[in-house]
Amino acid sequence: MLMQSILLALRSIARNKLRSLLTLLGVIIGVAAVIALLTIGGGAREHINAGMANMGSRLIFVFAGERPDPSAPVINEAKPLTSAHFNGLEKAIGSQAIVAAVATTSMRASFGARSVSAQVTGASENHFLQREWKLGRGRLFSPVEAESSASVCVIGSQVSKALFGQESALSARIRIGPAHCRVVGELSARGSSFSGQQDMQVYVPLGLFQTRLSGKSQIDEILINAPNQAAIEPLKAQITQEMRNLRRIGPGRNDDFQVEDMAEYIQQTNEFIGGITAFLSAIAAISLLVGGIGIMNIMLVSVTERTREIGIRMAIGARQRDILVQFLTEACVLSLLGGLTGIALGLAIAWGVTTLMGVHFAPGLADIAAITAISIAIGIVFGFFPALRGARLEPIEALRHE
Amino acid sequence: MDAESARTPLIAFEAVWRSYGAGDTQVHALAGASFDIARGSFVAVTGPSGSGKSTAMNILGALDVPTGGAYHFMGEDAGTFDKPRRADLRNRHIGFVFQGYNLLPRTTALENIELPLIYRGLPGRTRQELAEEALLQVGLEGRGHHTPNELSGGQQQRVAIARALVSEPTLLLADEPTGNLDTERSHEIMELLTALNREHGLTIVMVTHEPDIAAFAGRRIGFRDGRIAFDSATGDAASC
Ligand SMILES: Nc1ncnc2c1ncn2[C@@H]1O[C@H](COP(=O)(O)OP(=O)(O)OP(=O)(O)O)[C@@H](O)[C@H]1O
Ligand SMILES: [Mg+2]
Repeated sequence: MLMQSILLALRSIARNKLRSLLTLLGVIIGVAAVIALLTIGGGAREHINAGMANMGSRLIFVFAGERPDPSAPVINEAKPLTSAHFNGLEKAIGSQAIVAAVATTSMRASFGARSVSAQVTGASENHFLQREWKLGRGRLFSPVEAESSASVCVIGSQVSKALFGQESALSARIRIGPAHCRVVGELSARGSSFSGQQDMQVYVPLGLFQTRLSGKSQIDEILINAPNQAAIEPLKAQITQEMRNLRRIGPGRNDDFQVEDMAEYIQQTNEFIGGITAFLSAIAAISLLVGGIGIMNIMLVSVTERTREIGIRMAIGARQRDILVQFLTEACVLSLLGGLTGIALGLAIAWGVTTLMGVHFAPGLADIAAITAISIAIGIVFGFFPALRGARLEPIEALRHE
Repeated sequence: MDAESARTPLIAFEAVWRSYGAGDTQVHALAGASFDIARGSFVAVTGPSGSGKSTAMNILGALDVPTGGAYHFMGEDAGTFDKPRRADLRNRHIGFVFQGYNLLPRTTALENIELPLIYRGLPGRTRQELAEEALLQVGLEGRGHHTPNELSGGQQQRVAIARALVSEPTLLLADEPTGNLDTERSHEIMELLTALNREHGLTIVMVTHEPDIAAFAGRRIGFRDGRIAFDSATGDAASC
């Protein structure tokens, strides 16, 4: 009986192809928009998460400045971090975790006539242990070089390409701002857009950076690599306490520095992307409502057009229920067709956009299943009233209808 | 069939009223019509336009219910059945043949014939076999895959008769079945109905305006103003 109804519905839809298509535009557009947004949002989130995890998901960051407080309009000029803080933290927790310090600035790096604007980072030697760098050629700088502020550097793949083309950069002396450094290593390309900046990096020993490049003992960030997830929170508490001591912050006063971890960043980003995706999808879903009303309209037309047919069917024994099921099925098949078309369209759009953005195209099966169910539900909800109207017809009246 | 049900008439109209509207504008399409019809009869219903013939047919076919009096079908008080029960009664016991054929457009003859069996919940194979058989019975073999607009009026009416027969009804109701056909085609349809009545014992009630068509039936009931004006079975009972 249901099979019969579905066949009947398909036949009736096929008979009115153009009309059905126009009716379904609302559903198609709504579903396509929702699916495209969810898929693109999911891809972007996954991409950003992967990028962040790549930087080390167990990293804890310490930097200067109060935690932004919306109720305090003035942001106090923060006392910068210095090597003293780095050394203090190193002494306190160095046995449990790798503590590293970095300072960064933008500078021109040049070799002969070629030059490129690079991100120059002064890093303590153990910073290399925290990040999963893939060394392309050469080596990283040694503890001795780091300790003695030797004039050596490790360069990112883009910098190498800009200065040396296809040739090896190893052992060449390049100029970085006022200093000359010998290239001891080349990092391999990271490729993806999110970590693109890493390919533009030049790493030098922190001491060299402070004495020759920036001329200040200032540090931008202290990074601590927790040994495991469970250690992150206790470590953060310990770091905060240690930093308060080092910076002599009296009881009751606010921290003038922040301690954050990667998990927090990832969570914040996810919440942000999730929020935007949900908001946009909700707007797109409004067009589903419009689509549903379109289906209701066309089903009312269909029931009116086929009043006589309903009368004939009732005369030969169709119950009200049979008529109801017939038209409900037709509405559901109609909206399901719209939903499936919309899913295909939405996935095509999402595929195009994710490919352009360079992020992973990973359609959510749960999203697709949910939107398919919603399409059927739209048919049931908006098809019910017209179907009921058909089922409630008096057989004699319906038969007399011209 | 036991002795009891053999004695009960298939149809018993007991002072049936069917009124439309209310107050001054009330119309009584039927105003106390009474008659019995036994199994196996072939009855022609005649009478002037507006005398209530179609109204009576609708009640006989459980498409409508009386507003007064009682309608018994196979000994049951069918006039009080609810809608699902009436639908079931139509499906199992009644076959309709209309003046305008009332076939589903853009649907083949065989599919039209199958229709009552769908609502009986029969599987596709059985439906097809029975539909082919019915098509054969009305002499339309080979036309099963034509749609109504590819068939002549007489052929369409044969398809309609096949659709009425396929569910092996107890009662065949035909409201002016030859109204749209020429004399020759009309007589062919009448021969078909007569054969069904004689050979299969099918009870037939048929409305007609034409005396030569009415002559095919074994009994004539005349309507006037919603009442029975005469009945050939009981003599000219013009008393009411
Ligand atoms: N739905 C309705 N509402 C109001 N009056 C109706 C309705 N249906 C039928 N009638 C009236 O009931 C009376 C009987 O109608 P009916 O159709 O039974 O006549 P009939 O004998 O079949 O006539 P004809 O030979 O013209 O077909 C008519 O006066 C008609 O106007
Ligand atoms: Mg009539």
